[in-house]
Amino acid sequence: MSLLSIHDLSLSFRGVHGTTEVLHGISLDIAPGEKVALVGESGSGKSVTARIVLGLLQELPSARIQGEVRFEGQDMSGLSRKQLAANRGTEISMIFQDPTSSLNPTFIIERQFAEVIRRRNPSATREDCIRIAAQALADTAIPDVERVLASYPFQLSGGMNQRVMIAMALVNKPKLLIADEPGTALDVTVQAQTLQLMRQLTDDHQAAVFFISHNLGVVREFADRVYVIYRGRIVEDGPTEAIFADPRHAYTRALMNAVPRITGTGLPDIPERSDSFEAPQISHGSAS
Amino acid sequence: MIGVLRIIVRNPMSLLGLILVGLVVLSALLAPWLAPYPDHNGAVVDFLNNNRAPSWNNLMGTDLVGRDILSRILYGYQISLVLGVIVLAIATPIGTVFGLIAGYRGGWIEVVLMRIVDIFLSIPPLVLAIAMMGVLEPTLTNAMLAVTLMWWPWYARLVYSIARGEREEGYVVAAEVIGASTWHIIFREILPNCLPAIVTKMTLDMGFVIIIASSLSFLGLGVQPPTPDLGSMVAEGARYLPDSWWLTVFPGLSILVAVFGFNLLGDGLREALEVKS
Amino acid sequence: MSQLFGILVRRIGISVVVLIGVSMLIFAIARIIPGDPARIALGPNATAEQIAKLRGEMHLDENIVIQYGFFIKDLVSGDLGTSLYTNRPVTLDIAQFLPATLELVFLAGIIMVGLGLPLGILAARFRNKWPDHLVRALALLTVSAPSFVWAVILMLLFAYYLPLFPIAGRLSDIYDIERVTGFLTVDTLIAGNFAAFFDVWHHLILPAVALALSGIGQAARLTRANMVETYEKPYIEMAQAYGFFPHRIARLYAFKPSLIPSLTIIGLDFAAMLGNAFLVEAVFAWPGLSRYGVNVILRKDLNAIMGTVLIIALTFLIVNIIVDLFIAVLNPRIRHSTRVQS
Repeated sequence: MSLLSIHDLSLSFRGVHGTTEVLHGISLDIAPGEKVALVGESGSGKSVTARIVLGLLQELPSARIQGEVRFEGQDMSGLSRKQLAANRGTEISMIFQDPTSSLNPTFIIERQFAEVIRRRNPSATREDCIRIAAQALADTAIPDVERVLASYPFQLSGGMNQRVMIAMALVNKPKLLIADEPGTALDVTVQAQTLQLMRQLTDDHQAAVFFISHNLGVVREFADRVYVIYRGRIVEDGPTEAIFADPRHAYTRALMNAVPRITGTGLPDIPERSDSFEAPQISHGSAS
Repeated sequence: MIGVLRIIVRNPMSLLGLILVGLVVLSALLAPWLAPYPDHNGAVVDFLNNNRAPSWNNLMGTDLVGRDILSRILYGYQISLVLGVIVLAIATPIGTVFGLIAGYRGGWIEVVLMRIVDIFLSIPPLVLAIAMMGVLEPTLTNAMLAVTLMWWPWYARLVYSIARGEREEGYVVAAEVIGASTWHIIFREILPNCLPAIVTKMTLDMGFVIIIASSLSFLGLGVQPPTPDLGSMVAEGARYLPDSWWLTVFPGLSILVAVFGFNLLGDGLREALEVKS
Repeated sequence: MSQLFGILVRRIGISVVVLIGVSMLIFAIARIIPGDPARIALGPNATAEQIAKLRGEMHLDENIVIQYGFFIKDLVSGDLGTSLYTNRPVTLDIAQFLPATLELVFLAGIIMVGLGLPLGILAARFRNKWPDHLVRALALLTVSAPSFVWAVILMLLFAYYLPLFPIAGRLSDIYDIERVTGFLTVDTLIAGNFAAFFDVWHHLILPAVALALSGIGQAARLTRANMVETYEKPYIEMAQAYGFFPHRIARLYAFKPSLIPSLTIIGLDFAAMLGNAFLVEAVFAWPGLSRYGVNVILRKDLNAIMGTVLIIALTFLIVNIIVDLFIAVLNPRIRHSTRVQS
């Protein structure tokens, strides 16, 4: 049974100027422990997909969502706000693009960890929290755990905060980790280290990863399977190696050609719009 | 420009502001023609008709010497707007230049200029105005002088904070590299980026100037009788509360309406300009 | 803690400089005016001799710098000169009238923060829904009229048409309380007269609300704007991603960071209230520093003008220092200015 199953998901926003359609019926599956990437440029709808999975987008009054999203077999549309929130931070967690600004600037790291730990275990004592947090931080190869715990986010570097965020996301042993463009705000070498760390930790925890990115190079290192999204539609999907060996959809090919060879960062510059981008979805089949 | 106007008209609140401001401005401009008793803005007395409650003859009643309050309010708007326009016309350029120089040049210039600004800003505006009016003759000119003197620092502070931020921006550095003069950079490069904030502030300030001016004249420190001023009208009538309520309520409400209009418009402008940028 | 002390010392230093600047400014303005203060003080029947004598006493014929020197000398020894209006030392006048104004302004300040902040939070929490629109419209309205207009309206509504509150003054005439501190709220307690204590509050409420009204509007609008801006920040989204309850997020994550920019402006608003106190005191016949201030200004009573303005500037600066300290306590970034690399 797949851990996360999205079927024919559509999303539109009702605004002052009319309705904007963002997702046009996308489908994807993630099996337990699998690393799946959703790749596309900004505005393709990948970020909102992540937020729908989390149940965050449903709270916006202007959002119209249709289709099925099942987590562990359970249909999320039937759940109340509270039930949706119950999964967040415990079974599903998320890490964000810019680690330093995603952490609360007025809490020290220890306190932020405690807040997260108590999501799973409301009666955890301060000592418990410190112990668990210290272990989680040590797992991310942070050298001076005590100092980090006592620091504010602005006192730590971006790379450090990224590790903190990963540690926090995994401390409650979630089944699914959503990673929204992780490391984009960091420089290249740090980003590479971070991704390696993420891979290792999620393997250790047997957590599935839903990896959102615009960067195909990064995705290749990390993901088992890839979905390519263009303007709210999945245009190609399949095992990573299959896609990279033989990109068949016009958009996927354009995306690959646009990957900056040397640095691997920055948004790909897709030179032209093309009708061929609108071609229907090409599926390479699944790895298993 | 048109785009901004369109955004303002779409929003009901700022549209209301635009309408109110339009009414006030029209009243001020066309007072001699709109006022039912145009000569009542001067030293006219009509003791037979004094202190009358609102009636069809005098829609807002008459004051203690028999003058029509509605007419005096229309002329009062004239005074208020003139005061506001002149104060802003002087204070804004001075403050802006101050802020631009301090923000861009930095160094000791920045420290000195902004300390001066701080001194002015540290005194509650009304207190400074009152103190100044106390030592000068209470005339319209002096009132304008006092209000201007305490107004320019706010613009200096606003423009300074923007200029300081812009100082490091790419287009400024590029201009420096080319060898543009300081004045060129300040006025052609940085200033345009400050304009939206300045314009918004000016609109909001019109309302604020009206409040300060009417407060001054309420205390007897501004415009002197028989010139009609909304604040002094309220002051005169305050002694006759509650019986002759129209003496205070109508001038008071007219202040409220005018300032509310400017505030709504200013808020709408701020949102519209943010949307544009 | 030592950082707080450093901040305190620095702010006090700046304040002293500012006060000196203020005193110089007002001094210069006051001395440059046309008209002879001595002649005005002594009235039209004064003889030339009397005027000359008074001018000598007031050092009016000396160089302005020397005059300022005399002023500072007197100031340091606690002498603000004599008021030509009350013929008493200015310090005595201030001691009598200042507490009345301070009581009014402090109560108004508490009302402003106590009502303004929660309203702003409410508006932000329900942004773009009806509570938000209501709060914003009302707030804008309160800011759109000078305090004396609100004072008049409140008085008409709640003291005349609905006689819920007294019309004027600080204390009903039937009570005779000894002035110990000058603060009637305190003095009535010292005298043990609880009926009088309630009477004082009864008198305080309407003028304080009139004074606070525009401040409430400002505080509400500002708090709302800051909180909405904070809500857009990434760490709020992360908190939501972790499933924290909205109440928790509002309280712990959104409120504190948005408080900081609000506090600065609230400090400035307090200053505006000090100015507006003048207007409200006039309407409610409040025997405070404002009535005194306006009278001495109209009489060009230089010593009293200087004293009053200095005291007000001093109060304002003290409030600002307290606000700055508050901000430093709330904002760790100010306290820890060193950045740690990893």
